[in-house]
This record gives sequence, structure tokens and C-alpha cells, in this order.
Amino acid sequence: MAVKRKIIKERVPTPEMPAEERIKSFAEVNLGYTFELAVKEAERCLQCPYNYAPCIKGCPVHIDIPGFISKLVQYRDDPDKAVKEALNVIWACNSLPATTGRVCPQEDQCEMNCVMGKVGDKINIGKLERFVADYAREKGIDEELLFEIIPKIEKKGQSVAIIGAGPAGLTAAGELAKLGYDVTIYEALHEAGGVLMYGIPEFRLPKSIVESEIDKLRKLGVKILTDHVVGRTVTIEELLEEYDAVFIGSGAGTPRLINAPGINLNGIYTANEFLTRVNLMKAYLFPEYDTPVKVGKRVVVIGAGNTAMDAARSARRFGAEVTIAYRRGPEDVSARVEEVHHAKEEGIKFEFYINPVEFIGDENGKVKAVKFEKMKALDERDSRGKRKIVGTGEYVTLEADTVIIAIGKHPNRLIVNTPGLKVERGRIVVDENLMTSIPGVFAGGDAIRGEATVILAMGDGRMAAKAIHEYLTKKRENRNA
Amino acid sequence: MRNIWYRIHAPHVAKKVQPGQFVIVRAFKNGERIPLTPVMWDRDEGWIVLITFIRGRTTMRMANELKPGDEILNIAGPLGNPAEMEKFGKILAIGAYTGIVEVYPIAKAWQELGNEVTTLHVTFEPMVVLKDELEEAVGRHILETVPIDPNLDFPTNMKNVTKRLTEKVRELLEKEEYDMVFMVGPAGDQRAVFNVVKEFGIPMKSDLHPIMVDGTGMCGACRVTVGGEVKFACIDGPEFDAYQVNWDELIARSGYYTDMEQRAMQEYMKALQGGEQ
Ligand SMILES: Cc1cc2nc3c(=O)[nH]c(=O)nc-3n(C[C@H](O)[C@H](O)[C@H](O)COP(=O)(O)OP(=O)(O)OC[C@H]3O[C@@H](n4cnc5c(N)ncnc54)[C@H](O)[C@@H]3O)c2cc1C
Ligand SMILES: Cc1cc2nc3c(=O)[nH]c(=O)nc-3n(C[C@H](O)[C@H](O)[C@H](O)COP(=O)(O)OP(=O)(O)OC[C@H]3O[C@@H](n4cnc5c(N)ncnc54)[C@H](O)[C@@H]3O)c2cc1C
Ligand code: SF4
Ligand code: FES
Repeated sequence: MAVKRKIIKERVPTPEMPAEERIKSFAEVNLGYTFELAVKEAERCLQCPYNYAPCIKGCPVHIDIPGFISKLVQYRDDPDKAVKEALNVIWACNSLPATTGRVCPQEDQCEMNCVMGKVGDKINIGKLERFVADYAREKGIDEELLFEIIPKIEKKGQSVAIIGAGPAGLTAAGELAKLGYDVTIYEALHEAGGVLMYGIPEFRLPKSIVESEIDKLRKLGVKILTDHVVGRTVTIEELLEEYDAVFIGSGAGTPRLINAPGINLNGIYTANEFLTRVNLMKAYLFPEYDTPVKVGKRVVVIGAGNTAMDAARSARRFGAEVTIAYRRGPEDVSARVEEVHHAKEEGIKFEFYINPVEFIGDENGKVKAVKFEKMKALDERDSRGKRKIVGTGEYVTLEADTVIIAIGKHPNRLIVNTPGLKVERGRIVVDENLMTSIPGVFAGGDAIRGEATVILAMGDGRMAAKAIHEYLTKKRENRNA
Repeated sequence: MRNIWYRIHAPHVAKKVQPGQFVIVRAFKNGERIPLTPVMWDRDEGWIVLITFIRGRTTMRMANELKPGDEILNIAGPLGNPAEMEKFGKILAIGAYTGIVEVYPIAKAWQELGNEVTTLHVTFEPMVVLKDELEEAVGRHILETVPIDPNLDFPTNMKNVTKRLTEKVRELLEKEEYDMVFMVGPAGDQRAVFNVVKEFGIPMKSDLHPIMVDGTGMCGACRVTVGGEVKFACIDGPEFDAYQVNWDELIARSGYYTDMEQRAMQEYMKALQGGEQ
């Protein structure tokens, strides 16, 4: 018989650094739950039955959400045990919970479906996930769990090469290592992590957390070769000679530019360049760190996705007045709700329905303003369900010392140009097992989807690992037969 | 202003590198990623040679802080497209300043292919490099040095190099018939040389050096306008048709960080004088 519970309508809030303080530093904004607060929030969960729980259905990798939440309540007298049990549940589906707990668009996934929403606030699933991961890391519980797994791994004697150390590649690597394959990751940059490292800023996802997640992979025996650019240092054909299978998780790294006069003026950054300078190269610590970045007094960011919010909030931390310019309306902003909310709190302005048509420079080739055409929305919708927009023939000019273009990215060309690899609209084509047109070569994440999300990339990584396991099992059996 | 040679064990690069390609080096934990060119290599022994002259903080730090036996944190590559290896005929391959170190592997390979290669190196006296190696590798090596006049400021001294460079190119093109001109060097000097070459209507290829960050096509820092289209020098280049390049834009973009570079250098010098690292 079900126990009658008292319904607590309000969410237990997580503490946050006040806006006026946080725009002065790159320290993390959201401070996360303590164990006591986490248990309080966990108690609000109705524990919907597994096969019904709508939150699980909303999660792209189907984490047993009520399952992990219940552990926090069940073992409330023994926090270490509670976290260990909860982490064990999460790990079955997700190996990077400290990351996803911070960056998943929960409001569109698990939390969107939470039944508590009908009577009050939805359960704060993301922050609970993050709490479990953070507590486990701080107390070494994740390592304990890892060292229980490692001795059980049966070596298969086959090897897999992974291209790219982003969420897709890292997840595939972890899963394959657990299955007993020898895994080597080839990463172009000097640090593993992909967008988590070079794109998403410290104040949203501290780099030490990404590093610790990667450290765990190394403990699982995954080899990571940084500074290895596939397509240049080594080709996919060569990898196939050396390894039994290959997984491409090279992401969508090539920035899209705006085809308008003046795009190459100084002071116009792609979001990728700007964020790479700031995050990966720590330009906010210049001159202690050698890499420079120039952020003027007036910054205009073009676009309204997560990338735009990250660029805008980073620029704000250099003391700039920041405006986000978007050609559509507020309802089409694709960034996470939490980030938009944080951006507004931090004093970032939003201008909707304007589309850049020209970048205006001074006599030194440096940008000083952006000319926009005013747009209007029609009732008609496009294939993605967004309202179509058209130009009005009216213009407006915003002054800007720095412009950041954040309108999207294409998959990396060095990989896409591999002979025999089928590609459509710049994206690698895969079958239902995530295998590409080259036998033994699998792909996932942004490389096949264009720009997507961390959890979708991880989901692909898991699925590809499973498919690669099946593929290699057959290969083993054939060899032994 | 010394030329510094680094022989580095980097088998992943040595195995693959072709003339015309470059690497991205990050030598220190708080360091920048900078593009440099493998000048020589041994595929079997797994080493490459990089040659820099001290430009700013990174090249200065490398010269000061790296000792034989030390480890360089990161070398990514080889990057960029290899130079086209064809029989072009009679080639004038020009290097201004350290540009010549990038010319060397390409000119050598062209000569080996049966081209008739003349290399021209114009630089300040203390920066002469690869003289013997080039004399051995190509048909003819011309070295033109410009003395540094201590009474003039540095930009004026550099103008003297540009002047000598263009004069010499004009002299050569007037006297001899070349099928192709190739050049590596600062964008301003490239444009100056291009303006001469254009008068003679000879095809010209340029290795471009825009500011780079990742070198893998991910950041867009290296974008240049070529033939009216935006190209990324790191994955579409670094070699382009000089006739198609928007030189003014490239020159403006190359100088964007000069003030910050100077500040970084000053801070470094201050730290050195203070006896710290
Ligand atoms: C600024 C920004 C903010 C974002 N915010 C969010 C968010 O809040 N929530 C969310 O869910 N998603 C967010 N995203 C999207 C999310 O980060 C991506 O969908 C996800 O990282 C894709 O993972 P991936 O593994 O496919 O690729 P990536 O993370 O792009 O990793 C690809 C890796 O492959 C490497 N690589 C590329 N080419 C080669 C090569 N030729 N050889 C070797 N290595 C190569 C790259 O260097 C990189 O490390 C954001 C993206 C950006 C840019
Ligand atoms: C493809 C390529 C190959 C190169 N090969 C060589 C080489 O073999 N030997 C050599 O000495 N130099 C080479 N360079 C130039 C070298 O990268 C710069 O001299 C170096 O980055 C200067 O760094 P710094 O900190 O010492 O000087 P800084 O004070 O930072 O800069 C001095 C000048 O160098 C240029 N520069 C600075 N940062 C970069 C960057 N990230 N990318 C490109 N240019 C930059 C700018 O014009 C700047 O004004 C090459 C450049 C490119 C693009
Ligand atoms: S839907 Fe909400 S209440 Fe139900 S199990 Fe999931 S998180 Fe708990
Ligand atoms: S250096 Fe980043 S795209 Fe070329």
C-alpha cells in the first residue's frame, strides 16, 4: 500500500552568488545543494513507478530518476552511503553527471514532464544530480565505485580509436573501456573535454570538474592522445589499420559566419574564438596567462542560443555593456531558461527582431557599429515550428567595439573530407546502429546532429559503444571460428 | 634578435609532416598556442626542427626558459595543407625575416623535383639563418642583409628591409624570366612584393600568417578574404594565390593585438629584471 505523503509545493532553492558580485569573477554562479537541502528536495519527489515515471521518459538517456532520488531519502542517516547508491544508479546511464547536472536543459527534458508540475514546482532533478556527483567527487566516493568496477572488467583483446574528446567521445570511451576494449582517444586540442573545456565558461561548469571526470576515464585505462588532429596527424584509414573499430565524436566545431560586408573587421569574433581564448586559454587572467582577448565597452552578441548567452555573460565579466541581438522573438530563444535568467540578472540587454546586414568599421579596420534590418514575424511556421520572419526594409544601427557571432557551427571539415565517408549537409550520415558508410567506423554527437546537446552526444556515445561491442563481438567470433 | 633552433622529439608530427605545413606549439602552462614551421625532420628518429626569432613574449620565453632536455607541453600537427609539389619551372622563392625558414623545406623539395629554384632572403644582419643549408639545397641562394641603424627607430629600420626587398625583386624580375614567385614573410612585405610582381604579371603564391588560435578550423581567428570569399588560413591554406588576397584586411587583422603583446612583453621583462621567472 502506498504511503500517504504530504505534498510540498515549493522547490528547495539552491543558493546562488548575487549578480552584482558574480559579474566581477568567473567563479561558479550556482552554489548547489548541501546534503540536508538535497534530502529536503528529494523528499518532494512522488516516486512515480519506474515504467510510468514521466521524468525518465523525458531524459534522453533514461536515467532512473526516482531510483536515484529515493536513495538520498532512504539513506538519509548515512550521507556517504546515500550518495554512493544514488551515483551507482546514475552511472548506469550517465557517466558525466557533474556536467549534465549543470548544463542539461532540464526544463525541456526530465523536469518538463515531472508530475509535480501539476500541483506545484517540478522536482529540481538537475540540481539533485549535480549534488550527487559533486558530493561523490569531493568525498572520493566516485573513485571507490570505480575501483569496484575495474577488477570485474574482462579484457577483450580488441582496440577502438575514438576521434574527439567531447561528451560523445568520452562517453563512448568509458563504456567501451568498461566492456574490456583497449581505447585510445585522439584529440586535436591540448586538452580533452571538447565544448565542455573550450566553450562552456568556468562560471557555469568549472574546468576542474571536467578534468576530474576525464581523470576517471584514464583510471579506467583509456589512453588520451592530445594534439593529434585526425585528418592531418593521422587519417581514419590509418586508424582502421591499427584499431578494430573507430568512433567519430569530432563535434561541430567550425563556426558559421554572417555573409555580410565587414565580417572580417577587427573586433569581430566568432563565439568559438572568443570563448576559446577566454576559457581554454584563460585570457581573463591576461597577462598572467599569455593569450590576449579584447573586450570593448560595448559588446553586441549575435544569436540567442547557449553559446550566445555564454559569450555575452563572459563579456559582461570584463566590465562591458552587453546586448544580445536576435533576428527572431523571445519565444524562439534556444538557450536554457536558467542561462537567460542569469543573463538578464547580470544586466545583459536583449534586442529582438533585428538581423545584421553590415558591419561598419573605422579607418583602422576595426569594427565600430553594426547595421541591422528590423524583422517581423509572420503567422506561417517553418519546418522547425518557428514563425517565419521577413525583413521590413527598416534599419537600426547599434554601436559596438566588439561583436561576437554566435549563430551556429558546422561539423569539422578535416573529418568530413575523409574519402568514402558519406556526408549530407556537412553532417556525417549514420545508420540505425550509428555506423557510417565506412564499415567499422561509427559516429555520434554533434558530428552527426549538427549542434545539439551534451546529453544527446552522450546518448550517442553509449549507443555507439553498444553497437561497436556487437560489431567487435561478431568480429571476434568470426576470427575464432 | 637571435634565431633559436629547437630540435624536438615529436614522432607524431615527424611521421607525417610535408613541406608547407606547420605545427601549433604551447610551451608553457599559462602560455599561448603559436604556429611554427617544421624546417627539418627525421621520420625514423621522430624529431623535427623549429626555428624562431624572438618576436614577443612566447618566443622570448621559449628562448629563455627552455633548456636542452626539457619537455615542451604541446605540439599539435602537422597542420595546414602541404605545398603543391609540381614542376613549375623557374621559381623565385622569397623569405623576409624568419619567413625564410618556412621557404627552406618547400624550396628544397621543389628543387629536388627538378625545378630551377632561386631563394632570396632579405633581413637584418643578426637574423641571417640557413645560409649554408640553402646554398646547398637550391640552384641559387641570394642573401641581402640590411644593417640596423641604431639612430633610427625600429619601424623605420623595417621600412629599409621592405625597400631593399622590393628593389631586389624588381631587379631580379627585370633581368630574368621566372615562371612563379613564392613568398613567406610579414603581410606588409608580402603586399609590397606582390605590387612589384603584379607589374610583371607573374603568378605568385603566398604563405599567409594571420593570427591563429587552434589551427584546426574551429575558431575562425585566421580568416582571410581570398577572391571575395572568407577562407580559414589554417585549413584552407596557409598558401594562397597572392592576386586574390585582400591584403589591407590581412594587415589590419595581423596588428590587432600589438598593444597587448607589448604589454605582455613589458610585464615579462619587468619580471625578469625583478629576478623572478
Ligand atoms: C558555448 C556553448 C555552450 C553550450 N551549452 C550547452 C548547454 O548548456 N547544455 C547542453 O546540453 N549543450 C550545450 N552546448 C552544446 C554541447 O556542448 C554540444 O552539443 C556537445 O558538446 C557535443 O558533444 P560532442 O562530443 O559531439 O562534440 P564536442 O564537444 O564539440 O567535442 C568534439 C571534440 O572533438 C575534437 N575534434 C574535432 N575535430 C577533430 C579532429 N579532426 N581530430 C581530433 N579531434 C577532433 C574537438 O577538439 C573536440 O574536443 C553548448 C555548446 C557551446 C559551443
Ligand atoms: C603558419 C605559420 C607558420 C609560422 N612559422 C613560424 C616559424 O617557423 N618561425 C617563427 O619564428 N615564426 C613563425 N610564425 C610566426 C609566429 O607564430 C609568431 O611569431 C609568434 O606567434 C609570435 O609570438 P610571440 O608571443 O613571441 O610574439 P607576440 O608579441 O605575441 O606577437 C608578435 C607578432 O607575431 C604575430 N603573432 C602573434 N600571435 C600569433 C598567433 N597566435 N598566430 C600567428 N601570428 C601571431 C603577430 O603578427 C604579432 O604582431 C608562423 C606563423 C604562422 C601563421
Ligand atoms: S516525475 Fe517528478 S515526481 Fe515523478 S518520479 Fe520523476 S521527478 Fe519524481
Ligand atoms: S586558427 Fe582557428 S580556425 Fe584557423
